[in-house]
Parts: sequence; structure tokens; C-alpha cells
Amino acid sequence: MKKAVVYLNQFFGQIGGEDVADHAPEIREEKVGAAMLYNQLLDAEVTHTVICGDNFMGSRTEEAVETILDFLKDVDFDIFFAGPAFQAGRYGMACGEIGKAVKEEFDVPVISSMNIENPGVEVFKKDIYIFPGGHSAAKMRDDVKKITDFGNKILNGEKLLPAEKEGYYKRGIRHQYFLEDETPAYERAIDMLLKKINGEEFESELPIPELDLVEIAPAIEDLSKTTIALVTSGGIVPVDNPDKIQSASATRWGKYDISAMDKLDNREDLAFKTIHAGYDPAAADADPNVVVPVDAMRKYEKEGRIGKLHDYFYSTVGTGTTQKEAARMGKEIAQELQDANVQAVILTST
Amino acid sequence: MVKEIEKAGFTVVQMANLIPVAKTVGANRMVPTISIPYPLGDPSTSKEEQWELRYHRVGVALDALTTEIEEQKVFDVEI
Amino acid sequence: MKLELGNFYVKDIEFGAKTAFNDGILTINKEEALEVVFKDNHITEADLRIVKPGDMVRLVPVKEAIEPRFRVGGGPVFPGVTGKLMQAGEGETRCLKDMSVLVVGKHWGGFQDGLIDMGGEGAKYTHFSSLKNVVLVADTDEEFEQREQQKKNHALRWAGMRLAEYLGEAVKDLEPEDKDTYELEPLTKRSKELDELPSVAIVMQPQSQMEEKGYNDLNYGWDTNRMLPTFMHPNEILDGAMISGSFMPCSSKWATYDFQNFPLIRRLYQEHGKTINFVGVIMSNLNVALEQKERSAQFVAQMAKSLGVDAAIVTEEGYGNPDADYIGCLVALEDAGVKTVGVSNEATGRDGGSQPLVTLDPKADALVSTGNVSELIELPPMDEVIGELEALARDGLSGGWEDDEVLGSSVKEDGSIIMENNAMFCGDRIAGWSPKTMKEF
Repeated sequence: MKKAVVYLNQFFGQIGGEDVADHAPEIREEKVGAAMLYNQLLDAEVTHTVICGDNFMGSRTEEAVETILDFLKDVDFDIFFAGPAFQAGRYGMACGEIGKAVKEEFDVPVISSMNIENPGVEVFKKDIYIFPGGHSAAKMRDDVKKITDFGNKILNGEKLLPAEKEGYYKRGIRHQYFLEDETPAYERAIDMLLKKINGEEFESELPIPELDLVEIAPAIEDLSKTTIALVTSGGIVPVDNPDKIQSASATRWGKYDISAMDKLDNREDLAFKTIHAGYDPAAADADPNVVVPVDAMRKYEKEGRIGKLHDYFYSTVGTGTTQKEAARMGKEIAQELQDANVQAVILTST
Repeated sequence: MVKEIEKAGFTVVQMANLIPVAKTVGANRMVPTISIPYPLGDPSTSKEEQWELRYHRVGVALDALTTEIEEQKVFDVEI
Repeated sequence: MKLELGNFYVKDIEFGAKTAFNDGILTINKEEALEVVFKDNHITEADLRIVKPGDMVRLVPVKEAIEPRFRVGGGPVFPGVTGKLMQAGEGETRCLKDMSVLVVGKHWGGFQDGLIDMGGEGAKYTHFSSLKNVVLVADTDEEFEQREQQKKNHALRWAGMRLAEYLGEAVKDLEPEDKDTYELEPLTKRSKELDELPSVAIVMQPQSQMEEKGYNDLNYGWDTNRMLPTFMHPNEILDGAMISGSFMPCSSKWATYDFQNFPLIRRLYQEHGKTINFVGVIMSNLNVALEQKERSAQFVAQMAKSLGVDAAIVTEEGYGNPDADYIGCLVALEDAGVKTVGVSNEATGRDGGSQPLVTLDPKADALVSTGNVSELIELPPMDEVIGELEALARDGLSGGWEDDEVLGSSVKEDGSIIMENNAMFCGDRIAGWSPKTMKEF
């Protein structure tokens, strides 16, 4: 029999109401409150109930999460449920916080239920499965039924359908899918075109997501005192590609010492080349400085316009690389740059 | 990648040919390059011309690093 | 311009004494066919095989697919490529349907090559798994590119076209079972009824991103990297004016077979005179520099406006930076008042979490998605491999790898494989056949 753990707040965990919302996290090796309903509906046994006050989770999040993860360290479980949180904002955020942490730490499916108005939906729908739920506890049975049905599918290894069919909030995770009726793309395209021409409603298969911007870093005040690093996604590496960076869908990056170089020598000199498979390599192989301008930076360094060109340049391949991998590599490179006291970066991409 | 570096607090300028791509991925300071396979030096031109272009555009990138901006900005190049 | 495509439905293929087509059976004199292949002395080894749907056979590295045809009245099936330059799209061409010639490397593969499973789970991924195929499996002396990831595959691709022409001659003196007639009246000479229907064009963006010759799709033999967008009659595409190149990750590819049968074009023809007035094809391309991309989009939008196009389908043979050409073109058309629908694949990564196209714009509000290039595909061993399975891991196929910290090599010891959809031969069927879409999970 597979095992499940359920997370509830102080109210549904039968501790009490708003007056005990500061209740510290606890774990019980039994089915408390709504956990009993889960146990009835699941093809798994609910072995533990985790209970935490909403205010405790809200105000001392890190402590709460750490405590609960510590509770679960020695618990054997296959699936984790949190909520349902209905329209309760703090409860929804709590379910999201702990759900996300459990997912990351133990890599088990995490499922919750929240009303669309619950702020937890927007914040955590990318991290865990969240199903639309009712406004209040009157919908308890319906909401738990929905998420346990889905949980059972996962537990039984059934094929999962797209979000729109299973019913959970979309997570921004897109996979290819063979249409049941196999309607070929040309039919879908003509159909969409005729609808668009006739002013009828149509549904794009790729809705354009909103742009996600980061805060703009301040300008450098005095370049002549600044160490600048070159980073590239153009796949420039030593000819033997010592870090075995992939030509596409890269998961690796390398850093290469240029402290003794005035420029990058080329492939013919057995120095640097590109391993990027997404563009014609001829020009970069003949002169890698067209991608990583070590020569120009050296000149500016000599002229005193910049303080120093960082001793290493960093390289990976941009083509086909997942955003997740690119973000991880970006973080790792940023860490290196911080450790090396670099202040600014020129990133060249191909 | 550019976002992670900027998030970590570095002032970063992205030199890219495909400015629409750089904008979509969220770069803030951008300097255009001349093509994808050879961002900073067209092999059909002389070595001197390639050098001048590269030196100039890297210089624009350095200017970009010292410029305060309010929103995503593409810096103009002359050659 | 009027084109008649005469159909000969191939029910079976076999080797025999004489190359001939009888009652749906295509018989091939193997020796004679191989002579045609060996006409190019760069071909060092060659064999022909016949594979059919359901055969537990894996083909890799697949380089090209071609429909065998015969041009009535003489002339090459691919003008400007396999013979003299002449007008395509007019008169009669005879086609061996439900089959293709597949070109497979005996040893060496590359970034642009792919894989086909004729049977089992993997057969759902490619159009060619549903066809009967004559497989040319061969090697060449093009040593300069054997170890290069990007291969022109010239000798092999041209041998495939010669073979397709040779097989097409089997129906030289026969009457087709039926004919598809494709005819569009000249633009300024159309009836009032037609003129009152919304005018629709298809904008094609074939792969043309290599600056060096020999890799790109060809338009009447002309390298598409060296052209600006131009107006073409759809019959030209259906009749051999365009041939596939050898550059793009394989699931995004339009094989020559795809050009010959382009389902989006055929479907627009079906609507012509009923719901739309089919204007024709604006043949654009894909570029490597922003200015080139913008120039092409500008030409396309101008042409659409001048031709009075009300709506257009835009489709690209590629992903990655070509998405900038694709979105750029859709936006330029929308800005010119042309209603657009785009058809392409996406690259959301193995985990599905990446940005689907490298550029996005809210004006591109009607898109059809045909697959995810990075989707991981695991397939069991097959009874037989034609070509060389190791090529998938060794030769830098866009969907294969030699070693991966987590997944190991693409090719396992027992012959099973794990790869990205990228290496599935024309796996995203962007020409229009794709039964796949993209969904949120």
C-alpha cells in the first residue's frame, strides 16, 4: 500500500480557530480531521498528518518549512496533499510554501486545492498541482475528491492528460501531445484562419505569455576601476572542448584562462573554436574574437578605459538549452563572478 | 542567463544580433551585433574593418554599462 | 497555370527482373537501380532495401525523403537540380503515391539527420512510417565532412533524387488511377465571385541559414540564402521547384517529399473558390542577421499588401533564431492589416518549462503548434537497424548525444534508444501533417 501525508492548518487540523493561528508545526502519526476523508478516497494510506498554524507559517516561514521537512525526513511517503485551502489566503500561501518545499526536497507529487481567488494560486501554481476549489469548507468533500482522484491516477501510474483535461491550474509547462482525433495541423490551421477571417472566436495553440523582467542593475560609476568579465552563449571553447560542452541543449559550461592572452587564437592554431551547432562555425573558428572580443577588451584595458579584463571567460551553448538549465548555469557563473570580485559583465550571444 | 547574472547584482550588457530575442528573454542593456555567426566582425571585410567594428561596438557596450536606464534599452551603434 | 498530378497508388514494392508498375505493385530491378545510384562516383557503397509499415526496422541516419515521379513530356522532376532549368507546375506529372525513397547513411550521420521506426511505438512519430519505402543505404568518399557535424550530404541526396526519377519512369507509359488538378487563374483575371472572397496567401520560410553553399533548401537549384522573398505559384512547389537542404535539426525539416506534397498548400486549394480566394505562395526564407530577417519580413508584408492579401498562413522550417524570422514576419503582416495564422513547432525543453519560441509577440495571436523539439523519446530495440545506430550518439545528431550525466548515451547496449524529438526524421511534420499539438501539463 502506498503512503500519503496530509498538511492541514490549525482549523482543519482540529487545534482551534483564529486564536491558535500561531500554533507551531507538529506531525502526528494518525489521521486528523480532513485526513480521514483523504484516507477514505485514496488508493493509499494516510500515515501522517502535519498541522501548522497559518500565522506561524506566514510569519516564520523558513522556520516552519525547516521544521516540517525535518519531521518528514524519516517518513516514507509517496504523495503529499495540502489543503484544500478554499478562499483562505494565508492557508493557501501556507499550502504553497510547504508544498513547494516538499516537492523540491523529496521529489514526490504534491497536490493542493484552492479557489481561484486565493493568492496562493498565482504564486505557487507553477510549483505544485493546484486544483480549483470552492469558496469554503462546504465544498470540502468535492475538493478532496477532485485531488484524490488525480492523486490516485498518479499513484496507479496512469497516463496523465493535459492540465485542461485533468483540471488543475496551468503551470506554464508545455509538452507535445498527440490529439485523440489526430486532426492534422493543416486542418487546424485552415480552421483557425477561417475563424479569424470571419471574426469568430478561435483559440491559439500557443498563447503568448507575459514578459518576465528583472530589476535593472545600476550603472557603473567608474569603469577604470572595474573588473569586467566576458561571458558567451556562442560555444567558444579550447579546440579539445575539455568540459565536453554539448553542441545543443547544453547542460555544461566552462571557464577558460585568458590572463596571458592579447586575443583568442583560432582553430587552426589549435587554440579556440566554436562547438555551437546552431550557426555556421566558419567565421568563429577562423577568428574566435568575433564572438568573444578578448582583443578589443584588452585594448580598452591598456588604454585604461576599464580597470581589468577578468582572467577567465565563461562559455556555454545557447541553442536548444532549456530555460531551467540556462538559469542554473547563469547562477553558477554569477557565483563564480562574485567570488572573483567581478563588477560588470559583457554577455555575447550568437 | 543574462537575467540570472543581473539578478545576482551585476551590471550586464548583452551584445546580440537578435535584439527581439534579447528583449524577450529580458535583457535590459543591449547592444546590437552584426550577425549570428559573426557578431563582431564580418569575415568578408578586411581584418582592419572587422577590428574597427569590434572595437567600436565593444566600446558602445562599455558606454551602456555606465548608463543609467529606466527600461529595456537598445544602444545605438555607428559602425 | 494548370498542373495535373497523376496518382499511381503503390500497394506493394518488390525486387524483380524488370522495373515496372503493375496493378499497384512496384517491381524494381535492383541492379539497374543501383547503376543509377553509382552514376556519381563519389558513392562508394550502396544497397537498396524495401521497408513497410509495421516492419520492426529502425532507419538512421536518414537524410532525405523523395516521392518518385515522372514528368510527362520530358524534363527533370527537379528543374535546375537534377536537370535543365524549366518551368515547374504546368502540364502533367505522374506520382508514385503512398511510398517514398528514403536516403540513409550507411555509416555517417550529422546534425541534420534523423531516425525513422517503421513499426512499434516509434512509428507514430513520422509520416514516413506510414509509407512503403525504398531505402537507399549508402556511403560516400566525401571524407572532408565525415567527421563534421554539419554535412552537405550532397552525393547521397542527389543519388536519392536520381533514384526517385528512375523509379518514376516505371509509370511513364501508364494511365494514372486518378488525377489531382491544380489550377489558379491569373490574379488580375479572376471572376467577380472569386474576388469577393477573402484573398489568402501562404508564406513559406524554408531553411536557408548557411552562408556556404550546399546546405540550404534550393529553389529551382538556386540557394535560398541568396534570394529575397518572391512570389511563386503553388503548383511550382508541388511540382519539384523546391528541394530540401541539409542543415536544420531533423524534426523541423521539410523533406523534398514534404515540398512535393505540401499539405497546407493542398488544403488551401480545397478551399479555393469556396471560402477563400487562394492568391499563391510568398516564398521567403530564414536568415542569420537581424537586418536580413527584417528585410525579408518587409518584403513579405509589401508583397502581401500589393497583392491584396487579406489573410495568410506563415510557416517556418526551423526553430531557435528562425523564430525571430517567423514572429517578425507574422508581426509585419499583422501591422500591414493581414490576418495571420502561424504553423511551427516549439522548443520548451525536456522539462517543458522553457519559453516556447525565442521571440514572442502578442500580435502573433493565432498559432498552430506541431511539437516540442526537445521532448525526450525512449524506444525499445528493433529487430533490425538499416544504417548505423551508433551514428545517433556519435555523430552529433541534433537529438542524440554520446554521454549525459543522467541519461547516459542515446544508444544503449541492447539497441534501445533515448533521444530528443529533434532527431525524429521530419518528426514535427510542420508542412501540415502533424497530429501533435502542445498542451499545458
